[in-house]
Amino acid sequence: MSLLVETDYGTPASCADEQVTLTIDGKSVTVAAGTSIMRAAMEAGISVPKLCATDSLEAFGSCRLCLVEIAGRAGTPASCTTPVAPDMVVSTESERLAQLRRGVMELYLSDHPAGPASSECELHEMANVVGLGEVRYGHDGANHLAAAKDESNPYFTFDPAKCIVCSRCVRACEEVQGTFALTIQGRGFASKVSAGTPVDDFLSSECVSCGACVQACPTDALIEKSVIALGEPERSVVTTCAYCGVGCSFKAEMRGEELVRMVPYKDGKANHGHSCVKGRFAWGYANHHERVLTPMMRESIDQPWREVSWEAAIDRVASEFRRLQEKHGRLAIGGITSSRCTNEETYLVQKLVRGGFGNNNVDTCARVCHSPTGYGLRTAFGTSAGTQDFDSIDQCDVVLVIGANPTDAHPVFASRMKKRLREGARLIVVDPRRIDLVRTPHVKADYHLALRPGTNAAVLNALAHVIVTEGLANERFVREFCDRDAYDFWAGFVADPKNSPEAVSAISGVPPETIRRAARLYATGGNAAIYYGLGVTEHSQGTTAVMALANLAMVTGNIGRPGVGVNPLRGQNNVQGSCDMGSFPHELTGYRHISDGAMRSTFEAVWGRKLDAEPGLRIPNMFDAAIEGTFKGLYVQGEDILQSDPDTKHVAAALAAMECVVVQDLFLNETANYAHVFLPGSTFLEKDGTFTNAERRINRVRKVMAPKAGMADWEITLAISKAMGFEMRYSHPSEIMDEIARLTPTFAGVSFDLIDRLGSVQWPCDAKAPQGTPVMHVGGFVRGKGNFMVTEYVATDERTGPRFPLLLTTGRILSQYNVGAQTRRTENVVWHDQDVLEIHPHDAEQRGVRDGDWVRLDSRVGATTLRARVTDRVAPGVVYTTFHHPETQANVVTTEYSDWATNCPEYKVTAVQVSPSNGPSDWQRDYERQAEHSRRIAKVAAE
Amino acid sequence: MVDDKLVMMANQIGRFFVPQRLADPVAAITDHLRKFWDPRMRAAIVAHLEQGGADLDDPVRQAVRRLKEAEAKK
Amino acid sequence: MRLFVPRDAAARAVGADRIAMALEAEARRLGRTVEIVRTGSRGLFWLEPMIEVETPAGRIAFGPVMPGDVPALFAADFGARHPLHLGRPEELPFLKRQTRITFARCGITDPLSLADYRAHSGGRGLERAKSLGAAKTIEEVTKSGLRGRGGAGFPTGIKWKTVADTAADRKYVVCNADEGDSGTYADRMIMEGDPFVLIEGMAIAGFAIGATKGYIYIRSEYPDAVRVMERAIVLAEAEGLLGAEAKFDLEVRVGAGAYVCGEETSLLDSLEGKRGQVRAKPPLPAHKGLFGKPTAVNNAISLATVPAILAEGGEAYAALGFGRSRGTMPIQLAGNVKHAGLFEAPFGLSLGELVDEIGGGTHSGRPVRAVQAGGPLGAYFPRALFDTPYDYEAYAARDGLIGHGGLVVFDDTVDMARQARFALEFCALESCGKCTPCRLGSVRGMETMDRIIRGERREANLALVEDLCRTLKFASLCALGGFTPYPVMSAIRHFPEDFNRPRLTAAAAE
Repeated sequence: MSLLVETDYGTPASCADEQVTLTIDGKSVTVAAGTSIMRAAMEAGISVPKLCATDSLEAFGSCRLCLVEIAGRAGTPASCTTPVAPDMVVSTESERLAQLRRGVMELYLSDHPAGPASSECELHEMANVVGLGEVRYGHDGANHLAAAKDESNPYFTFDPAKCIVCSRCVRACEEVQGTFALTIQGRGFASKVSAGTPVDDFLSSECVSCGACVQACPTDALIEKSVIALGEPERSVVTTCAYCGVGCSFKAEMRGEELVRMVPYKDGKANHGHSCVKGRFAWGYANHHERVLTPMMRESIDQPWREVSWEAAIDRVASEFRRLQEKHGRLAIGGITSSRCTNEETYLVQKLVRGGFGNNNVDTCARVCHSPTGYGLRTAFGTSAGTQDFDSIDQCDVVLVIGANPTDAHPVFASRMKKRLREGARLIVVDPRRIDLVRTPHVKADYHLALRPGTNAAVLNALAHVIVTEGLANERFVREFCDRDAYDFWAGFVADPKNSPEAVSAISGVPPETIRRAARLYATGGNAAIYYGLGVTEHSQGTTAVMALANLAMVTGNIGRPGVGVNPLRGQNNVQGSCDMGSFPHELTGYRHISDGAMRSTFEAVWGRKLDAEPGLRIPNMFDAAIEGTFKGLYVQGEDILQSDPDTKHVAAALAAMECVVVQDLFLNETANYAHVFLPGSTFLEKDGTFTNAERRINRVRKVMAPKAGMADWEITLAISKAMGFEMRYSHPSEIMDEIARLTPTFAGVSFDLIDRLGSVQWPCDAKAPQGTPVMHVGGFVRGKGNFMVTEYVATDERTGPRFPLLLTTGRILSQYNVGAQTRRTENVVWHDQDVLEIHPHDAEQRGVRDGDWVRLDSRVGATTLRARVTDRVAPGVVYTTFHHPETQANVVTTEYSDWATNCPEYKVTAVQVSPSNGPSDWQRDYERQAEHSRRIAKVAAE
Repeated sequence: MVDDKLVMMANQIGRFFVPQRLADPVAAITDHLRKFWDPRMRAAIVAHLEQGGADLDDPVRQAVRRLKEAEAKK
Repeated sequence: MRLFVPRDAAARAVGADRIAMALEAEARRLGRTVEIVRTGSRGLFWLEPMIEVETPAGRIAFGPVMPGDVPALFAADFGARHPLHLGRPEELPFLKRQTRITFARCGITDPLSLADYRAHSGGRGLERAKSLGAAKTIEEVTKSGLRGRGGAGFPTGIKWKTVADTAADRKYVVCNADEGDSGTYADRMIMEGDPFVLIEGMAIAGFAIGATKGYIYIRSEYPDAVRVMERAIVLAEAEGLLGAEAKFDLEVRVGAGAYVCGEETSLLDSLEGKRGQVRAKPPLPAHKGLFGKPTAVNNAISLATVPAILAEGGEAYAALGFGRSRGTMPIQLAGNVKHAGLFEAPFGLSLGELVDEIGGGTHSGRPVRAVQAGGPLGAYFPRALFDTPYDYEAYAARDGLIGHGGLVVFDDTVDMARQARFALEFCALESCGKCTPCRLGSVRGMETMDRIIRGERREANLALVEDLCRTLKFASLCALGGFTPYPVMSAIRHFPEDFNRPRLTAAAAE
């Protein structure tokens, strides 16, 4: 495969319905009204010279190379800024145009380094196109050739000498990313690209390192350091980012067997050519020296690891698991799959557990993030998934963001959202913390409901109260599409004065008038869409709150068309997929309960094994059972449960109580400190498969290099299964997907072939929707009638009191991802090298805590220490931290409380105390010692 | 310890279903326990009921009783 | 006794304030009661400070008055025997030859007296517009043939109709008073001398196109104009001519010193608080202007002419003029000219008449060699072209432009190669930096012109400048780069001898 270069049409596509026919260079061309002449020409295969135009940005008209002649019009208008008109006759080539283009190019080259440029430099390409020979101005005039490079960003450099001041970078920062970090400083000849203020460089500026400017730059002025270091790429493979649930498509650009850079793919349906600092740049972990590339095992966790062969390791896993089942029963072992893994890998793990282990003790890390979404949306609408595609945001008039921080956690979608907000859509943010979206350049929330952590359901009920009691309900929608009796009962419930904004204000701390206004805006502001994250689900009433969101969408008729809907923002790349793949203990693929005998028998027929009809253990239940002594062996694929699950001490005790813990991962993660067998995993670059993003879009993951440890993850699971006597036969992950499609009605039409053909596909994909389904519940709900559930607010048992007077809530930061296993092993640590505790100045003052001080964070289950950041982003009484660094282990303090329906942990509410500290807590010290001890690797020859 | 946790979890489930528009909220609670709790958890809560069922809310207690009956029938 | 002393910045620059003070002091000393009315300027700058006294026979002018002249003026009882006595100003040939429509009140009334304004027929235009309705108002302006006085000469009525026909929840009127052309001062004079006519013109525009908000964008170098306009707006609001009742608000915004912000799209960016940078057109401001809404951007003189057009009817205005240039133009004579000042007349006067007869030749007394018409980016006209009639099309036919109505006169000591270089230097200084030809071409042009002046490879470098000018003219994004070739090429074409003579610098270097 060669290097893939997408066609650049110069200006964005027009979405007008009206068609216009014109003539360009004698060719008749028909395009949508509003299309630029430049794009119309390109669509007809006529390429007009250009430098400042690129189709991800609005036309700008500054380079003046794309001039054309139009019959009957004076002058030589720029084809990028001139829209087509009916019967227009355009010439893109003439002696006059050639002369003008050469004239402009001569000026460019009079202030540009003479040396060699990369093959991507459009300036040099255009110089050839316009046929410029000599620069008659000479090279001794004023110039910018001696300007200093800015190499402050760890991933790219800016060389002003090579800059042609086309503003593509500035415009990309504004239009695509929406950060407004770049500007043109100075005027006329002195104009130059500047990050932030004149004293800033790229690193110290507001730049979020999304790479949009590097992407947009037509010359080598902005270029990836990896390209400078490794050389220009030679071939590309289109694949899918393995970070968050946006699921951006990327071109992995290779030189030989080495990855040179990741470039966002323009035809990617989720990202349309945009990226963030993680997907674009933070892939260095794949080559990190700490990556384990050889299987290892040991008899007990106080021993050092021994490197062994794959055969020895797999045999050990199988024999131990068999031994434990013989000794402690069939239910004594289980498996955990991860949302980091592909659909195919996840499917295999649950198949191994159900078919090979003979029980249903399989769960996924979605348990601890979005399991309430599955339960809640299925109950209300009939499908355990978000209702929209990302493109839907372009038609949205009111955005309601609750319990999500898109600019940090879903940055590429956040940029789309910000663009729509800059176009005039209104914004309601419901979050205890003042997230960036509340106020960011050219975006300001109309209402920020800064509620107390744990009161989502109450506030959502109050919003519904206003809608119902002020007559704002969409009666027509409810009558046509919803269960009338359920609605009437629910309407009676929310209308109760206990759910009024006035009553809820006392619980939530949100002023009643703010709730009323927000409700009116949501109900009457046009297309209103809800975007939510783990701030909704990770509560004792997570499922209730998801249902409350569904109720809001239904009562206002905001469901079943573009621009509306209820949209979970998935934290990890394959949260949606891992749930779809039947990795929850109670259900098989496509969310079908394991007790359904007819359905179960179809699996039994294909798998050749009898399946248990009883639900298995969920992750927290596994820990409890391990401590109780009935659960002894665990196969963990790609998840670091010790760092990511709540109440770390409890998890550590559970792991320590097991006799065989098998960890399959890239690194010796925290869980591996309690493991007996370590199986080296493969990165997303080293295997084939699919990820399903937050919009139900199934994207291909394509192998760009051989697995560094010799086996792809799916092959490891096959080997374990075979060793346990349950042989599965697949020669390629595509065959796994074929089996999934055969067994899962919503996936019936899915195959690798189809995805390769369409680029990606959104399930449901079946005979009725062979191209997939961008928007769900159009013309009626999947379950029949929309179901209103009563969402009574029940306060969590986690309460503040004299000992623990503050509420801790947790979240993510842009540069780091989840437990940080990958991002901590990249240059991203430049931006965030430790977790800090945000605390309000009032609370800090009371405790004698100053900005930057070490503080101790205590809850009833544990204590940790970290540095304080004094800020009014959080309200008094609330503190906030991230959970990216194992040194901090924020989960040492989170508790065992969980969602009523799904046991999703209540990460977002922990009663804590903060006090000045001068060093790590006892637990941190003990843990550090244990981890260090446990990570030892004995350097002896493999057996 | 584990019993306390199961009791708390069961009561949480009860608090969701009791206010719903259902002819028989107890049945809904039983159904939820059947569908989402692994057999040893169900056995543990049934055993807890048999030992007096301390701290179980009333509808939940009824639901666990029905669960016990259903399990016995199997 | 009522005395009239201009408050116009040009008059103040030559001492009008000191004259006013001296008049007051002398009257006090003599125990006489005088009322001093500060008016705008009549626009006869070689006579400033020109003061007037009210007499039963009308106003009598004296000028130029120095403070030392004041006691003698009183002593002569402001009579004809005083040597500075000019008689009735209307009878002065410079004024008598004019047809004052836009500047009818300028220099006569107290600019900040609405009563005075009304007493001199102010306000009738708006009244008539209201009685005609919006559509008919636009028709009337279209019928008048009024073209944009900022320089582009686009028919004002058609622009207004485009804005009126564009549906939007909000529209704007923007007055371009960023008068940056060298040798021009008409905008300044009207704002300082008759601000209410501009306010009335904008109110009519707002009414016609459906805008409820207007901005007057004034260059920062006009502090007097800013003060007068702001005060006039307050007075107009107090009388209900502006504000909620009138459904029209006005606001003054002050520029930040960039010439290019006189270009309408840069002006809009500047008004929005952004870096003053040219926007590509389309979209036209009439479709998508200020804050993305349909906007009528009109020059101050265009807007100040509208009330008279409405009051007297479009046809009356259209009856004046030449060819497709209808009505009158306030022509501003400047530079090395004997009678520098504002001369409002119907289009059609020849350049020779304007410079030699009305302007009276050069101030230095030497022969006129060149006239730059239309500002720093206008062409230089040699005597050979002095038959050119004052008309948009006639000037364009001779590779020139009338622009905002400025004429800058040079005598025979001018070095046209330096003037050509100056045009490129001006372009380099004022370039916003957006488009390549202007950003880089202006500097390269300057460097190349320096080589020509130094006598280096003259032929080749002149050819290069000609190529560059073609690139600038056809490839620039706006008129700054696009018009820079006018002064450069006209200097080379009409004064080739200046580009091929031994240089003193070259001699000195030896």
